[in-house]
Amino acid sequence: MTLIKDGYFSQTELAQLPGMPSRERLHEGPCVVIECAQQIPCDPCEAACHEGAIEIGDSIINLPKLDPSKCGGCGLCIAACPGQCLFVVDMTYSDTEGTVQFPYEFLPYPQKGDTVHGLNRGGDIVCDAEVLKVLHPKKFDHTAVITVSVPKEYAMEVRTIKIKGNHHG
Amino acid sequence: MNHVELAIIGAGPAGLSAAIEAASVGVQTIVFDENQQAGGQLFKQIHKFFGSRAHQAGARGIDIGKNLLGQVAASGAEIKLDTVVWGIFEGNKVGVVTNGRNVICKADRILLATGASENVLAFPGWTLPGVMGAGAIQTMVNVHRVLPGKRVLMIGSGNVGLIVSYQLLQAGAEVVALVEAMDRIGGYAVHASKIKRAGTPILIRHTIKEAVGNGKVEQATIVQLNDNGNVIEGTERTLDVDVICMACGLSPLAELAWLAGCRFTDVAPLGGLLPVHDDNMQTSLPGMYVAGDIAGIEEASTAIEEGRLAGIAIAESLGYLTTTDATVKKQAVNDRSEQLRDGPFGITRREAKETLIRRSLET
Amino acid sequence: MDKHPRTYEGKTEIKIEHPDMIICRCEEVTLAQIIEAISEGARTVDEVKRRTRAGMGLCQGRTCSRLVRHLLAQHTGQNFHQIPPMTARVPVRPIALEVLASLEDDTNG
Repeated sequence: MTLIKDGYFSQTELAQLPGMPSRERLHEGPCVVIECAQQIPCDPCEAACHEGAIEIGDSIINLPKLDPSKCGGCGLCIAACPGQCLFVVDMTYSDTEGTVQFPYEFLPYPQKGDTVHGLNRGGDIVCDAEVLKVLHPKKFDHTAVITVSVPKEYAMEVRTIKIKGNHHG
Repeated sequence: MNHVELAIIGAGPAGLSAAIEAASVGVQTIVFDENQQAGGQLFKQIHKFFGSRAHQAGARGIDIGKNLLGQVAASGAEIKLDTVVWGIFEGNKVGVVTNGRNVICKADRILLATGASENVLAFPGWTLPGVMGAGAIQTMVNVHRVLPGKRVLMIGSGNVGLIVSYQLLQAGAEVVALVEAMDRIGGYAVHASKIKRAGTPILIRHTIKEAVGNGKVEQATIVQLNDNGNVIEGTERTLDVDVICMACGLSPLAELAWLAGCRFTDVAPLGGLLPVHDDNMQTSLPGMYVAGDIAGIEEASTAIEEGRLAGIAIAESLGYLTTTDATVKKQAVNDRSEQLRDGPFGITRREAKETLIRRSLET
Repeated sequence: MDKHPRTYEGKTEIKIEHPDMIICRCEEVTLAQIIEAISEGARTVDEVKRRTRAGMGLCQGRTCSRLVRHLLAQHTGQNFHQIPPMTARVPVRPIALEVLASLEDDTNG
């Protein structure tokens, strides 16, 4: 199992998660991707979603289950997750590009319009990403939620960014 | 201070939570802590906690600490900081140094909530300046905002090693590598994923061989281990680092319980030799209670629940709560604890706790 | 069970790497000194302490006691988790003798 040996998911592991929308759903519009694989006692994502798209159920060790039909991709769940494992992906951004929204807790924040490195789950630079939005309202409690656009083929790869010239994400 | 109904030793999450439960129903409560700030390790925890809403999930440790301090103030419990408890004597007497005075305080009930100490690893060069415990690094970086170095080797992939790595990255250091002797990451994958995607190599079946440097750490040699945990010769790699952080687990800080004569038992999943306690957190000595890491290494969230349980049980034993009221309150705490001690990570601790409680009934 | 039973026939030879590595930082006790104590028959943390001063410094064994327990387990066959730490004694925290001597005890009256 890649996750517990390397610290990130293999594609097979990802596909089995109950928080994973289908490929088809991702091409219909923005949707959350919940990369939560271990039954740890945790449930803030469920309450963060006003649409009822995320269900944990009675036991807080249940994995979050996604109802992709209810998710509008608002991203309110992203900063609520203490594990920083929720992302919103939109494959409909343009013909060639998709967007990724992800949690970010490093300073300085990038600025809207910046071109930054897009990093995959393993920390490798895979493409350039353009910063579209940087949100850090008080409610997010110091976890910024950043939206970037990337080539479509990398929208399910890129999970954080690195500001060009900085040594870490 | 010659006599108090409840003396709590340690103002961490367990001690403060016990104080809140006991003092809020009328128990005259003093909390002693040798530090200059209450809250134990909570104020070093700048990350968001897991749990449910009832456990304040999603709040950062530092904010959970502030919240607890507010509740203590409202409860009427007194916290005496910069105060060292140096001994426990027959008749529930506590030796306390406070404000330069050395006094004996007799307590009707004593709660030991002294927490844990960090385990270290001995390797050639481990006494060089720059080799530090994860707790010290958290104090420097998260409390005092001092970066101990620029290039860090982290030893240990438990949640502490993963979280402190992340916090070092946030503070602007580079975590050159994280080594783990086991064949898997010990802590939560979500914590591992955060540092992995930020570029930190996580090397399982690796350990440190030695640290070298002129008067301070300048280099660390790491080496790969085989499946039996033995060094694979020829796999040595030397890294330029100025800090080596040890996150090799915790051990219960239990001298006072040994001194008092509590019965101990060996429960390896909770950190080894522990004072036995019953389902009220009472040790083998009547009137002496434990809560938090001294009662088994777990997390701040479970320490909070154990502290509450002890506080309720103590209030009941002193007549401040009826058995009916106490039972309802204890049930609520136990339900919350059970939620935390669930799932693949929690179930081992739940079973170990059950063993510990069962052994308290043996004579 | 004991790989190196206590005998009066001389020391047990224990080969170690890094004999000069410090185990007790406070009292600067080396690995070789701890191993020598074990080879001479020390079987508890207290016995190692009395022979070497390991654990008698400022931190009172909070750092090295566990390392000594590991060495005892490794070289005497005892179960690590069942080796008790050194006997706890007052004062469990370092306090000035002057302060200790000024004890006010009004609890007996």
